[in-house]
Amino acid sequence: MPLEVRSTPTLAEAASLLQAERAARFLAGGTLVVRAVNEGDVSFSTIVRTSDPAFTRLRTAGGRIELGAGVTMAQILASRELAFLHPAARSVGGPAVRTMATVGGNLFAPHPYGDFATALLALDARIRLASGFGAREVSLEELLRGRERTPRPLVASLSFERPADPAAFRFRKMTRTRPKGPAVLTIAAWLPLSGGRVSGARVAFGAMAATPIRARAVERALEGRPLSAEGVAVAVAAAAGEGDPPTDPIASAWYRQRVVGVILRRLLLGEP
Amino acid sequence: MRIRKELFADERDDDLRLVGQPVRRQDIEGHVTGRTAFFDDHSVAGLLHLRCVRSTQHHARIRSIDTSAAERTPGVRRILRWADLPKKAHNILTIFDFGIDDEPALADGKVRYKGEPIVAILAESRRAADEAVAKVRVDYEPLPAVFDVEEALKPGAPLVNEYIGRNWFRYWGDYDCQQIRFGDVEAALRSADLVVSGRYQMSPIEHAPLETQGCIVVPAEDGRFTVYTCTQGLFFSLDNTAAQLKIESNRLHFVGGTVGGGFGGKVDTVVEPLAVLAAMLTGRPVRYVFSRAEEMQVSSPRGAERIYIEDGVMRDGRIVARKITHYHDAGAYSRLSTYGTIKSAAHHPGPYTIPNVWVDSWCVFTNRTPSSAMRGFGVTGGDFALESHMDVVARAIGMDPMELRIKNAYRDGDMKAHRKLTQGAALVECVQVAAELARWPLSEEARRDSSRVGGGGERARIPPTPTARTRAPGSTGTGARVEPARLGTGFAASEPRRGTTPLPGWTGGAGFPSSRPEPPRREAERREPPPEPPRPSTGGHGAIRFSSVFGSRRR
Repeated sequence: MPLEVRSTPTLAEAASLLQAERAARFLAGGTLVVRAVNEGDVSFSTIVRTSDPAFTRLRTAGGRIELGAGVTMAQILASRELAFLHPAARSVGGPAVRTMATVGGNLFAPHPYGDFATALLALDARIRLASGFGAREVSLEELLRGRERTPRPLVASLSFERPADPAAFRFRKMTRTRPKGPAVLTIAAWLPLSGGRVSGARVAFGAMAATPIRARAVERALEGRPLSAEGVAVAVAAAAGEGDPPTDPIASAWYRQRVVGVILRRLLLGEP
Repeated sequence: MRIRKELFADERDDDLRLVGQPVRRQDIEGHVTGRTAFFDDHSVAGLLHLRCVRSTQHHARIRSIDTSAAERTPGVRRILRWADLPKKAHNILTIFDFGIDDEPALADGKVRYKGEPIVAILAESRRAADEAVAKVRVDYEPLPAVFDVEEALKPGAPLVNEYIGRNWFRYWGDYDCQQIRFGDVEAALRSADLVVSGRYQMSPIEHAPLETQGCIVVPAEDGRFTVYTCTQGLFFSLDNTAAQLKIESNRLHFVGGTVGGGFGGKVDTVVEPLAVLAAMLTGRPVRYVFSRAEEMQVSSPRGAERIYIEDGVMRDGRIVARKITHYHDAGAYSRLSTYGTIKSAAHHPGPYTIPNVWVDSWCVFTNRTPSSAMRGFGVTGGDFALESHMDVVARAIGMDPMELRIKNAYRDGDMKAHRKLTQGAALVECVQVAAELARWPLSEEARRDSSRVGGGGERARIPPTPTARTRAPGSTGTGARVEPARLGTGFAASEPRRGTTPLPGWTGGAGFPSSRPEPPRREAERREPPPEPPRPSTGGHGAIRFSSVFGSRRR
């Protein structure tokens, strides 16, 4: 069966096509789907894309920042409002990939990819799903849990609260090759301080499980503590117990579990 | 950058016009503007696309191959199997009368590594070919596999390659490994102040060219075939394709051009024979290009090498004995590993004058991806081991590692373990300059040393040498009598050789009855016809010496 490409003017129509045909894949930037086509993946025979302007819209005006799922890493890097997200966007591929790769696609990037999704997880992003019958919203965690299900949900946009203090957001990616290797692991953290103590921390790990995950034990251990060597000790010790890291050509599960605490400590203490 | 022209000024004409100068690559303009044409830029009407069904098993007998669903896939024109091959097994060095035809272009009833091609599908589109590939059902009977060179040499290890008949390549008729014997290593190790041992392991390395391997074959009305290819060795690949298809080489017209990255990974000639055969059988132009995953998994990497070194060292830093066992992991098929093994033996014991040297270099077969050429294969791995070991030795005797190298570096006029007098040695000067640039303190003695003094004399002597032959465990050899004079053993009596004398023993050709292929062991129940008897050696050429893999120099 030849591969068919179908373009739709709206996200709702794209969602209807995807729901109607199981052997269909949605194409945003193409850094995953086109690669699969090139490698002879015959598990899908239809590619659906959309020219809906909402898909690539980036809204930074209100209290919540809203990114169309088709916003590219290059668009993020071109936005001064989103400077705090630049390290995360820059960690995705090289310039050629970042020109095409989208924030929506990154939510579906298989392990060990998905560094930007890890950042969004720490920002507690909400996901707006398109469907033929209208839109609905889920949490990013919920989306990641069910992302392998077919038919895959179509992400229209995502949003998160504008950080009052962008410095409270921290991001680290450990790679074997710099600047753009796949992740040994990625850590993103939202660390608001109140009176010198952490209050309402969110910590996300990438490449430490099949999908990016929230590190809840680490978050609990940080609550009410200062970001000092003693203050973070319990959280650092808890890091290895989070997730179920895969063994792959980049690193073994054993290595990831041993190194995650080291990277977390450096991130929390602001060490190089 | 500065060229040290004062060094060896009298040994060369001072006419370097390019070394040290910034020079613009002649092809760079085409590359950066996207105008360079590669083989895949040839647009051909009516193209058929070739894709291979590949083994999911490391080692297995194939019970059956069901292609019925694949044949019914729209767009599929033909499926090639082992039975369609004009020559049932081939090795790219046998066109030089070296080695054994040991690799079928499509599986011969058994797969010996994961990713081995089993059948080839020809279809009107790449997509249709991929869909048909997914529909081929292969029934495997898994066999025990071996992945480690030393495990593979043990008696009772699974036999990887029946064409070879054992898990190691036998050199020169009756040598289980490539050997160097120079002086009495065992006696020297016994009398040394210290023996320093080390084990060094290389990993396979993929060349990862931007352009994956491939070719486009276009049949012409006159019965000839134009082959647009990215091979690194155009005429080497042409000759090998002709040999594998049993056609005259003048029926093939190979068109090269810019190779999109090679590094040694594009000489194996794995895509051209199948694509030309497909064009012959269908009368259609055929395109066969590796996907990125194929390039990474099934194109030959640099082989894994394991190197054991045992040095006898004196307190003053002289290395008096060096004993090396070097294992090359050829993977399931020879490709160029038989040659890489010879190269490693030719490179040991490194650029040092050591009076007693013993080297065994093994070409070992395992159920891993066949390895082959990559940037100084056989040599790079050896250097990693040798130079790592030099540092270990320096630490063991408390000597500066740079001084240790200068002390043991070969000098002009020294006899090498390969019975060749050293000429144009420059290691001492290289180390001195490196130390100077790194502000590494050297002793006055080391600073004043020179590659031109202290060599020759006693150091030019070939010591009395016991010539024990190493056997693989359980190996009894062929019993073939090998003339010592022809193999260059009994060196004590022979004259030092100079210049480009071939390696001792490299005589090749018809004189080595037991280096010819042995008929592969076959299972009685196999349904396919047995492979053809081995091609008779053409003989009569006399000695052959590789000047590169692309050619041989006949002497």
